[in-house]
Amino acid sequence: MIEARNVYKTFKTPDRREVKALVDFSTSIEKGEVVVIIGPSGSGKSTFLRCLNQLEEIDSGEIIIDGVDIYGKKVDINEVREEIGMVFQSFNLFPHKTVLENVILAQIIVRGRKKSEAIDIARGLLRKVGILEKENVYPSQLSGGQQQRVAIARALAMHPKIMMFDEATSALDPEMIGEVLDVMKTLAREGMTMVVVTHEMGFAREVSDRVVFMDGGQIVEEGTAEHFFSNPTHDRTKLFLSQIL
Amino acid sequence: MQFNKRSLITLGVLALIVIASYYFFTRKGITYIWHWEKIPEMLFYHGSKSAEDAVPRLRMGVLMMGFILTLKISVASIFFAIIIGTIVGICRLSKEPVTKGLAMAYVELIRNTPLLVQIYIIYFFVGSMLRLSAFTAGTAALAIFAGAYVGEIVRAGIQSIHKGQMEASRSLGMTYAKAMRHIILPQAFKRIIPPLAGQFISLVKDSSLVSVIALADLMFQGQQAVARTYYAFEIYFTVAALYLVMTFALSMATQYIERRLAISD
Repeated sequence: MIEARNVYKTFKTPDRREVKALVDFSTSIEKGEVVVIIGPSGSGKSTFLRCLNQLEEIDSGEIIIDGVDIYGKKVDINEVREEIGMVFQSFNLFPHKTVLENVILAQIIVRGRKKSEAIDIARGLLRKVGILEKENVYPSQLSGGQQQRVAIARALAMHPKIMMFDEATSALDPEMIGEVLDVMKTLAREGMTMVVVTHEMGFAREVSDRVVFMDGGQIVEEGTAEHFFSNPTHDRTKLFLSQIL
Repeated sequence: MQFNKRSLITLGVLALIVIASYYFFTRKGITYIWHWEKIPEMLFYHGSKSAEDAVPRLRMGVLMMGFILTLKISVASIFFAIIIGTIVGICRLSKEPVTKGLAMAYVELIRNTPLLVQIYIIYFFVGSMLRLSAFTAGTAALAIFAGAYVGEIVRAGIQSIHKGQMEASRSLGMTYAKAMRHIILPQAFKRIIPPLAGQFISLVKDSSLVSVIALADLMFQGQQAVARTYYAFEIYFTVAALYLVMTFALSMATQYIERRLAISD
């Protein structure tokens, strides 16, 4: 489903230093797989997610999604993005639109669905994330956890083939993390292909098929959650886990 | 805000100063016989206009005709200034150097030369090449002038929207144009209403400069009436009041829109 080959990505800081975010990065993710990416900040986890839907452009290498080289010349990136839902750390709901409008807008203007159809889909998803009663309020009137659940519904409304979560619970108050993780777990169990950058080790342990530990723009170690938390082999991994667990 | 004893004292002192200075200056200054009674007929009068149009009925006086023309020019140039400004504001943020450069050149050129000179150039040079009427030339000059300022306001508004909004829109598959139209611009416009209101109030007042190309706007009609009657004080006070009516209405309207748009906050 997702294939990254020898991806390099370098950022230039304002003072013209170069920061290597991804260095010869390769991995592949199967359909229906739930991959959790962990690692210290600046290790390139979020950059990898953002390169998958071209919010950042890679310097070299290849990313192939569903058989399409997304950096190919004839590829319309907007069509690729329709198939990849993304959930952000800072929610990024549209503040001038109600909850329902947030969830139907892209369905109508991108997918070309009829408004009534879009509303049906939106209501179904809002019910699924447990927030249907708030469909007519504006995002500013919701708690962080509620906003993030709406953001998940908004992404799901496009019926994407892949869902990406970029530290989706990091900006939430502790008591709200659970409600968002529950939605993510449900999705995982339903067989959604998921790439999740998170610091929630409980989530990784419970639902991930594979845990990837990144540092310095490269994969240091990867394996099943069980392998990862019971007997990590790499020193860097052990150090990281000892710091966060 | 609540009126209290202190505000009453402040008001009282101010009123005393105004009244005292009026008597002080008029005592040693000119004696002027006020003719306020001549003003109403410059706004509306009942009667016939000419031999051909002799039916007596309620008609607009010269100042009211000027008021209407100023209103038309202002509304038209505000409309076009918004369009020009939005385009320029977006172009200023383009990554493409030619687009960005042209937008920057436009803003700098227009902001850094006097409006009066621009009106002359557009009317006498561009206008005579393209056979523009004085109204079209005047409106164009005002819209082009205000468009440069609006462009910078729009740019600042767009830049003030968190970049996560654009990223979320694009991640849903929206094109740049769709994201701009549905997500970024509506939020930006809400935020820039106060500076836009200031700009448009300036525009209404600056429209008095088109009187130099013989457009019979409020200022022009006022000047003509003064030349005819010598009631300079009464007429200019009235002209000022009529400008105030327009600008104050504009202020109120934008405050109303601002309150309406505040629902989602």
